[in-house]
Amino acid sequence: MSNPRQASSASQTPHLSPAELSYLYTSLSLPKGPIRPDGRSPTQFRPLTAETDILPGTNGSARIGFADGTQAIVGVKAEVEKTVLASDILQQDVENDLQAPSDRRDGAESTPSAAAGGHGSWVQMSIEIPGFRDDDALPVFLSEMMRESLVGSVTDAGKGRDTEMAGGLKGRLVINKRWHWRLYIDVLLLSQPLSYPLPLLSLTTHLALLSTKLPKLKSQGEEDPFFDDDWGVAEHLYPRPSPSASATSSQIRPPVTLLVISVGDNVIFDPNREEISVADAVLAISITRNSEGQGLKLLSIRTIDPPSRLTQPGVPNSENLSTMAATGNSDNAAAANPSAGQEEVPGVWRPRRGGIKRSVITELTRTVLKKGGVGEEVLEGLEGVEV
Amino acid sequence: MNDRRRVNGPPGGTRPPVFQSGLQSSNPSDRPRRQRQPAELRKIFLKTGLIPSASGSAYLEFEPSASLAANRSNPKSMIPPSSALKLTCTVHGPKPLPRSAAYSPNLVLTTHVKYAPFAARRRKGHVRDSSERDLGVHLETALRGAIIAERWPKSGLDITITILEAEDDRWWGEPPDSHDASWGIMNVLAGCITAASAAIADARIDCLDLVAGGVAAITEDVGASHSGSGRLMLDTDPAEHASILSACVVAYMPARDEITELWLKGDSSKAVLDDGDSRQGHDALIDGAVDAARGSYSVLSEAVKESILNAVAHA
Repeated sequence: MSNPRQASSASQTPHLSPAELSYLYTSLSLPKGPIRPDGRSPTQFRPLTAETDILPGTNGSARIGFADGTQAIVGVKAEVEKTVLASDILQQDVENDLQAPSDRRDGAESTPSAAAGGHGSWVQMSIEIPGFRDDDALPVFLSEMMRESLVGSVTDAGKGRDTEMAGGLKGRLVINKRWHWRLYIDVLLLSQPLSYPLPLLSLTTHLALLSTKLPKLKSQGEEDPFFDDDWGVAEHLYPRPSPSASATSSQIRPPVTLLVISVGDNVIFDPNREEISVADAVLAISITRNSEGQGLKLLSIRTIDPPSRLTQPGVPNSENLSTMAATGNSDNAAAANPSAGQEEVPGVWRPRRGGIKRSVITELTRTVLKKGGVGEEVLEGLEGVEV
Repeated sequence: MNDRRRVNGPPGGTRPPVFQSGLQSSNPSDRPRRQRQPAELRKIFLKTGLIPSASGSAYLEFEPSASLAANRSNPKSMIPPSSALKLTCTVHGPKPLPRSAAYSPNLVLTTHVKYAPFAARRRKGHVRDSSERDLGVHLETALRGAIIAERWPKSGLDITITILEAEDDRWWGEPPDSHDASWGIMNVLAGCITAASAAIADARIDCLDLVAGGVAAITEDVGASHSGSGRLMLDTDPAEHASILSACVVAYMPARDEITELWLKGDSSKAVLDDGDSRQGHDALIDGAVDAARGSYSVLSEAVKESILNAVAHA
């Protein structure tokens, strides 16, 4: 945190000594399964408390607190906005000239247009993290990452399903050809970012969007929108399955972004600050349920710069001037610059170098996506939260 | 409160006039089509050491697509059908950190990606917007894996990329909001990675390996008989494809067979692969991007070799 310019996507430079880092790395990379500092299993998440609908002035809101004291609040606000689209105006002008009015609707429906499919820029996301300016790299990176999967999750219009969510979140925001909703998602991290805040912010946003309600539309078709002022009949942004529907049609839910690290051969989920500081690779993987309600769909993967690259190297005893006999003059050159040594000494920390092997990426995504894997577990856990 | 002392513009936005004749010229048959094989990359021009005041620099340019070349030789429209990436990269450093900066045991890498105002079809402002900042973070992740940072304590390295011509996100003749996903940015990132790696080598900063960027995408073409027929293409030009379902950029170090940066987005589940290929869509996509990166690595290593030969000749 001392130098926020440097603390970009790599969260914060860890304040652990090389000896501590080496100890952590060894215990997390044990071949028979990692031993985590807080005793969790590799796929276990930190305990959290969640509540929704906490802010009366918003369309939807949620708060999640982790046991370590980090808390986040998300408020979702929706505004009605006029759709200004060059293509529609063009189209209407041309059609007015060329075609009878009865044909106009067919022509308009056949061409793909934002008026039908929605536009990604209608979802705006801002993230506020204490200690960071809002144009610093970390908030920008986090909000782009979460917005990208939110906007990109277009479900196929399956048979017998509610077609309201056919176009995903973007499609849901369309009111008619001339009007749409604009969604502001404001994420506020209340505490210092003790660990990389991505899982916390993603889960909170998920719950806030689930609890978001839009007023019920009274006008029809292409009229100017006019809403029911009874908040009791407002509709959820992510529609609930009607009780009459069969059990197979589960509710469509917003995507979730998971943070996964690999240490040695082990895959660890929801790392805390100490664990992420020794990670070999850090990936953020966004998933959602498949449209059939079975299995998971991958929406995006991004690598995150592991903070272990910014750590200080340990000095092995053989190169340490203070433990070495004064006669070791011949090795002086190497001793003066310990970082020049290439060989790995067991028990001595070296900052991670290089990237991720291809097989590790496959392994990480497979653990998230496989049937009964972590992704399903997280989504089931979230489905258990009463919204 | 209106300002009475000056003539204010209209409160809403205005739109430039569009003429019927202009509309008719953009009929779908003029849409540029991919002339390359699915696994064939565009040619890359890469030259280092063009900016003498910087410690390292590189200039990268993609080959114009077939339709663009045809339009240049035999212009049908004043508007070019597609664009080709052009960017410059400068490296300043390693240089001592300012006295006021906190102690850092490692090299402090700063990446700065900026579109020139005229780079894209829509003008970019002079202040970096969120997509440019996002690109900067991606580039930093890609390069930090290759640089041996603990060799340079208390020093800083500034990498500045100016994009002179960006890739289009879609064909310009389509209605401007028919789809809004920014696929061009992924090609831009791949170009940034390759150019930055060449510039770092030109600055004689030792790295684990050269990092090459590559893009692969799963596309659905206009003539597709049914949906769900995504094809894997390497080095896609978004203007040449009616719809891109999913795309992936990697930064890849061939000598170590490692990926330093991976950015995948979109729905990769609809990919139709060859028979007997049991990979999942996203795995095939990442492998495709790695193949594309291997291709650009061959150009990159030639450019770096040339830069070293030049330096030896002038020494």
